[in-house]
Amino acid sequence: MGSVLESVLAAGFADVDALLRGGGDEAEPPPWKRLLIASVSGGLFYGAVMGSYGLAPLQALYSALKVPLLVGVATLLCLPNFYTVNAVLGLRADFPRAVRAILSAQGTVAVVLAGLAPITALLYASLSVYGLAVAANGVMFLIAALAGQVALARRYRPLIAANPRHRLGRAAWLTLYIFVAIQMAWVLRPFIGDPSLPTRFFRSGAWGNAYVEVARLLWGLV
Amino acid sequence: MTLFRTVDDLLRGTHTRPEKLQKGEIDLDTGRLLTAVLLLGMTYGVFMGLYAVLRGGEGAIRQIGAATLKVPLLFVLTLVVTFPSLYVFSALAQSRLTFQMTLRLLLAAIAVNMALLASFGPVTGFFTLSTESYPFMIVLNVAFFTISGIVGLTFLRKTLAGVFEGAATGGQNVFRVWLVIYSVVGAQMGWILRPFIGDPHRPFELFRERQGNFFIAVWEAFWNLF
Repeated sequence: MGSVLESVLAAGFADVDALLRGGGDEAEPPPWKRLLIASVSGGLFYGAVMGSYGLAPLQALYSALKVPLLVGVATLLCLPNFYTVNAVLGLRADFPRAVRAILSAQGTVAVVLAGLAPITALLYASLSVYGLAVAANGVMFLIAALAGQVALARRYRPLIAANPRHRLGRAAWLTLYIFVAIQMAWVLRPFIGDPSLPTRFFRSGAWGNAYVEVARLLWGLV
Repeated sequence: MTLFRTVDDLLRGTHTRPEKLQKGEIDLDTGRLLTAVLLLGMTYGVFMGLYAVLRGGEGAIRQIGAATLKVPLLFVLTLVVTFPSLYVFSALAQSRLTFQMTLRLLLAAIAVNMALLASFGPVTGFFTLSTESYPFMIVLNVAFFTISGIVGLTFLRKTLAGVFEGAATGGQNVFRVWLVIYSVVGAQMGWILRPFIGDPHRPFELFRERQGNFFIAVWEAFWNLF
């Protein structure tokens, strides 16, 4: 019985394992479809845990949808530019591998988030201040993003070795992606759900521009 | 699809290999290049004009139509203004570039510029959906135009380096001066053709009254962010 369970788990986690170990030419990332499944399920899982702070099932569901949405839509918006940048840099032939590298990194972020979810849940159980819950998630996302960077660096290593211009392509991707993802996260608020506010998919008046808000805040401080 | 292929080949630099250039060949069709420039420009124009439509002001539909036409127009007109002087001075400097080759080369550079700009389109569209601030949209668009402009001109500079390899440098110097003129004319042309995005607090107008210049306006939009 134990060995059956073990083999089922091993089969299910083979993709996750390949994703996390990455690196080298021989260790190919999982195929597109399975990569997508691993990424989406990782995001859904963390999102559900993230949204359970107020113990409102609806908020947990919304947050579960929002995390894959955040990463997925931001990626789609930036891909046309990534293609053009690669082509202009003369890296068009490597484009499928570069996209693979980026999607593997996104998948790694999702899987690492899922791995951190139990810690978030434990923190939720021991924190009663909403602000601290927000900060805890900030730390989790930071850790996952750093793990994503490690995965990206690994997948990009053979590409950069073949053509150092891939460094520039990666930098262009990261700049645009971070710029878009920050705004995407702002638009999709709330992720955690302040228990003192009613549950909604979008916070009322949530649309707006993160950068304009930050500029106003800074200007208010000066 | 063949058009996409043209752009893809262009971006890959298939048509602009140094060995071909030095023989004085660029096997690109002027008509097809122009079509690519127009279509890619219009694509970005639609994303740019979306701001006015979503704010639903008077004449919003006309604004998106105007933006769609104005973006490709901006580049074509800039080329029309700067090309004759470039050709005259480059011939005077005994450059090896013929009239046709110069035109193809410039159109190719503009097509690269437009391809990059069009690829920023979805990002502009997303920020348009979620941003109220008009100054932010101006600064964002100026940034995207600047980045794609720099990439387009870098493409031109590299291609020219291939053309002029081992040749007298007179023609190359003409191009260097031209690059600066082209950038300034392009920026000011954008100013003359404004509004592209459409201030939501003002009624639709095809062109604004003649006043000020591009460089002062961008500076002001930047400070209005705060």
